[in-house]
Amino acid sequence: MKRTLWISSLVVVVVVGFVFTSLPAVAHHSSAPFYDPTKSVEAIGVVQKFVFRNPHSFLFIDGEDADGEAVEWEVELGAAVSMRRAGWTPETIGAGDSIRVVGQPSRAPGTYGICCARITRPDGSSIRR
Amino acid sequence: MSETDIRGSSRRPICLATAAALLAAAFQGAITQVGAQAAEAEIADLVGVWDGGPRVRRVNGPNMPWTAENFPVLNERALAFQQVFDEAIAPKYDCVPSASPAIQYDPYFMEIVQWPDRVLIRYEKDDQLRTVWMDQREPTLADYSIQGFSVGRYDGDALIVETSHFVFDITGFDDYNGIPSSQLKTVTERYWRDGEELRMTLTLEDPLFLREPASYTTRWLPAPEDYRLGPYECDPEEARRSVKFMIPKYR
Repeated sequence: MKRTLWISSLVVVVVVGFVFTSLPAVAHHSSAPFYDPTKSVEAIGVVQKFVFRNPHSFLFIDGEDADGEAVEWEVELGAAVSMRRAGWTPETIGAGDSIRVVGQPSRAPGTYGICCARITRPDGSSIRR
Repeated sequence: MSETDIRGSSRRPICLATAAALLAAAFQGAITQVGAQAAEAEIADLVGVWDGGPRVRRVNGPNMPWTAENFPVLNERALAFQQVFDEAIAPKYDCVPSASPAIQYDPYFMEIVQWPDRVLIRYEKDDQLRTVWMDQREPTLADYSIQGFSVGRYDGDALIVETSHFVFDITGFDDYNGIPSSQLKTVTERYWRDGEELRMTLTLEDPLFLREPASYTTRWLPAPEDYRLGPYECDPEEARRSVKFMIPKYR
């Protein structure tokens, strides 16, 4: 299922910020210049690639925007060196995986970034393999 | 302690970089330049790998470690810089390493190795290595760098590190508030043990941008047994990826 839902003006700072299901991956730098903590966005799609790097890892998801148009979501995660301590590896998420991400949307119009995300399978189950 | 002792070597793993540095130092004969104070006095045991991550302290940001109570008093020059600063040009988005007084509070692990003539502080963040010289050597004009030039001494149960010779850094204050630091910046760190914890009070001065010294105190906890610092190998492409998500200051 490829479906994307926008939930605008939803205050999610406390709950969503810096939380992942089972596997925490904190983006350490201040996310405020890039992402709007007063809003929440949900992306459901198929993983294109998982870049496990420093200073920040990224997850690329083929999904849809609020209008149903195909877009590529870029989900910012923590530093690989920190994520590894929390149990992540480059194989934790793989290309072709179906995935659901809920987090803060990027600020610049026309961009599809997500930060400080909760990542699960589309059914809500843990992504841990 | 003998001149060739490496404190804690039986308890803690020594990284390859440290071993390489030891060989280089031995080759140059620098290891024989032992500070009398370090050789004769009972010094603070700070050796180990230390956890400065989120389980230990609040993650850094615009209000941490500089809070409303200890935020430096900026002069008009600093305020002007801050007003025109655009986050998008911050050097960290090009993998320029973090420096004092920010790198000490970055939420990563670090390692301390104490030798008779120097203390090595290695940061997991940005793969940075600071050398704190304990042999009373003086800096030269060639010693200006991102991490500056550090000299140290033991004061009772504490290690005092004084660092100068920083290069101008447009985000040399803390990475978050758009405040630069100058070649006049000096940083004094006092490290001591409090039980299992490592604590540090850092005091920052920069007469080009600050009206008065500013200070914060933080801590580390011992890293899990046998933990070794991982390579950081900052990737410039990933470092800059999120910049496009900002709304530009100048359009």
